[in-house]
Amino acid sequence: MLHTKIIDIEKDKIKTSIAEAFIKSSSYGASIIFNGTVRNINENKEVVGITYDSHDELVLKSFDEIYKETTEKLKIMEKAVFIEHIKGYVGLGETSIIIAVACKHRDEAYVLSRYIIEEIKKRSPIWKKEHYKNEQSEWLKGNPIQHEKI
Amino acid sequence: MKIKLELFGASRDFSNKEFLEFNIKQKMEIKDFRKEVINYLDKNFKGNENFIKIVKNSVFCSEDNNIINDDFKIIKDQKIGIIPPIGGG
Repeated sequence: MLHTKIIDIEKDKIKTSIAEAFIKSSSYGASIIFNGTVRNINENKEVVGITYDSHDELVLKSFDEIYKETTEKLKIMEKAVFIEHIKGYVGLGETSIIIAVACKHRDEAYVLSRYIIEEIKKRSPIWKKEHYKNEQSEWLKGNPIQHEKI
Repeated sequence: MKIKLELFGASRDFSNKEFLEFNIKQKMEIKDFRKEVINYLDKNFKGNENFIKIVKNSVFCSEDNNIINDDFKIIKDQKIGIIPPIGGG
């Protein structure tokens, strides 16, 4: 059971309530909702917001592949997974990503949630442009994509 | 052949538009197309080292949304996406 979406912040909103409803619709007992938000300091610079860019099709494809891997590699067969990531500008403290998972047992839920966010960081084509209090902004350097995994 | 290079992330600074257009005279592999892009940036941004570094560290993506290798052959007009180093989530 998988739900994925890129939320264009100019047209739509990212809401934890939608993730909660999705998870509740599954019959599993252990659930975790991870919320990624814009933090105030990065590398000693005062951040006021981040513009996220994404290659939507590749990002959704990577989400699907990560989900499949949780079956094949982690052997977590029964699960519900909800992944939404925003695109566009978000201010300090606002949500950029929601990953909600539900499994039969808590051990699996923690492993599943952690695996998904770490893999997204490594291989989903999403970019951040940080905006600072001094009105400057810059694209974060990031890491070259790991080709063989896409 | 006309190649429309779609820009993402840091490569968006290469243009005010969402893409760059290249006219290439002959079939070429991605590794040669990468050199074309570097030459374009070298010429238009006075050898901006940061821009060139971005291209060197990027991969490319085909119209059907697959990451393509350096030996992928460009044989017709097409859109190609440039995928700079990533850092989202």
